Amino acid sequence: MRPENYEAQRHPPSNEFELNFGPNHPGIEGNYALKVKLHGDVVVEAKADGGYLHRGFEKLMEQRLWIQNIALVPRICVPDPSPMEVCYAMAVEELCGLDVPQRAQWLRVMQLELSRIAAHLFTFGGHAATTGMYSTMYWGVADRDLILDLFEEFTGGRVYSIYNIPGGVRRELPDGFLRRISETLDYIESRLPDYDNLFFKNQVFVKRAKGTGVMSQEQALAWGVTGPNLRATGLAFDVRRDDPYLVYDQLDFEIPTEAHGDAWSRTLVRRLELVESIRILRQVVAALPDIRGPIRAPIPNPLAWNVPVGEVYTRVESSKGELCYFVVSDGGPKPYRVHVRGPSSMHAVQVLEKMSVGSRIEDIAQTMFSLDACPPEVDR
Amino acid sequence: MSSIKQIPVITERKGNPLARVFDEFVRFCRSRSLFILHYCTGCGAIELPPAMTSRFDMERLGIQPMVSPRQADILLITGYVSIKTLKRVILTYEQMGSPKYVIGICSCTVNGGMYWQSYATAKKLDEYMPVDLYIAGCMPRPEAVLAGLQKLMDRIHSGEANSWEDYFRNYDYYLGNQQKLFGENWQTPTDIITEAKHYDLIDEGTFGKHTQLLEQHQKPLEALDMRLGHDLKEPTE
Repeated sequence: MRPENYEAQRHPPSNEFELNFGPNHPGIEGNYALKVKLHGDVVVEAKADGGYLHRGFEKLMEQRLWIQNIALVPRICVPDPSPMEVCYAMAVEELCGLDVPQRAQWLRVMQLELSRIAAHLFTFGGHAATTGMYSTMYWGVADRDLILDLFEEFTGGRVYSIYNIPGGVRRELPDGFLRRISETLDYIESRLPDYDNLFFKNQVFVKRAKGTGVMSQEQALAWGVTGPNLRATGLAFDVRRDDPYLVYDQLDFEIPTEAHGDAWSRTLVRRLELVESIRILRQVVAALPDIRGPIRAPIPNPLAWNVPVGEVYTRVESSKGELCYFVVSDGGPKPYRVHVRGPSSMHAVQVLEKMSVGSRIEDIAQTMFSLDACPPEVDR
Repeated sequence: MSSIKQIPVITERKGNPLARVFDEFVRFCRSRSLFILHYCTGCGAIELPPAMTSRFDMERLGIQPMVSPRQADILLITGYVSIKTLKRVILTYEQMGSPKYVIGICSCTVNGGMYWQSYATAKKLDEYMPVDLYIAGCMPRPEAVLAGLQKLMDRIHSGEANSWEDYFRNYDYYLGNQQKLFGENWQTPTDIITEAKHYDLIDEGTFGKHTQLLEQHQKPLEALDMRLGHDLKEPTE
């Protein structure tokens, strides 16, 4: 079990001890590990130990056709897979100069926002479980399942909805789907006060989360933090508003921010984002019946599709933060190089390492869940 | 659909009939109280919270999650296993007390799945440890997970789920595959051969050239430092 260059070393006697936190640990999110050095209960040093989920995505994508990669990319981030495929499809469209029909863009917005709600509900559940409140976990997972049922109905897949292709989306909405989506949104909205009473206003949670894992706005910007974690430090930056893609510039929504930059602020930002996502979805549901037309642009034979030479960088706002794809084509049937800039690599490695220092050991799990880091996306 | 009925072979049963009744009772109880250690090795872990919580409710089958390997009965491998994870999976598996059952969830544990050409993942799980049951799919729905667990319960009740004995009987084969992947001086802190003697499961496949190789490289267990990966460096002064 030891590395090849291992040499046993004698440590001087001290009050510090080392602890392997993970990879198989109920308090850690997924297959990820931290090596922490403790003095009593207080963390002196933490070191992230990833790589348990490494599959070599960027290499695998070079070996598959442009269209095959659509099925591969959602696997990068398991709790929130939809932004992955949308972002990749947007990159390929930009390389080919494809015009995506309006209706497909609205359908994509619907998919992205549903996915955001599902991911946030799941995060609340996990975060509550780390503070010992298992009821919220049961509720969050159960309500997320309602969204997954919607996904299953309109994309065909429960978790991995391989719904996009370069040029549009795969299929039209089923009959009566807009009514069912409205019902589910109404139900989730009616549940939010219950969540407030159970979790967000719960003193058990508030007292533990306030002041845990604090970062200032300067630190957040220096560490490459994006998404809700950045907005929790007071900076209203959202790719959906500041660099609009799809039809987000035609939609009306707010960018919620909080000032403190601790675990409580981060969770609260997600809670407020739920409301905004529901608001966006209501607008999409109202607009969709009037937007007619094709749902995909014609593309050449996808099995022999030589995408023009070029480099392209696309970004979307996923539920975890800013997600970017850098795609290079050499004019062949497969990508020459794909780089994925995932938000969690910053959150789970450098930010978590620095935030854990000085906190107590029971707060590590809470810090990790409040950062909403996604280990499969860290390792890729 | 033509079905060939298996003709039951009546073998002469030996031993105390009361002991047989007792064994049957033990198997029944064992199949109704299972603790899962789910090692979230991959994507499939995302379908376990729905399967465990109120919607599909695994607990009504008597199945609960368990956090420590020594008290768990089932090892759920949820998805692809990268080589770094596989070391920990084998370590976890060997720590579990017998009888233990392994379920491979997702296609990746069967044959590599989506990552059949990846350089970083182990393709077939059953080369490294005996697997009782596979639940195929990418990813299997919670219903499929529950159906798989029910199948396992039936197999435990009928006494068919004894793959854990294979690990002792064919230890040389499994150790050989592990050595091929991790290097010749691969060693876990669990002494499988002593354990096999304890369970009286020594067979032809237990010893072989790979176990000989293990004996050459084996360090005494007291000297084996169980810190995994790189060390936290002491600041040199």
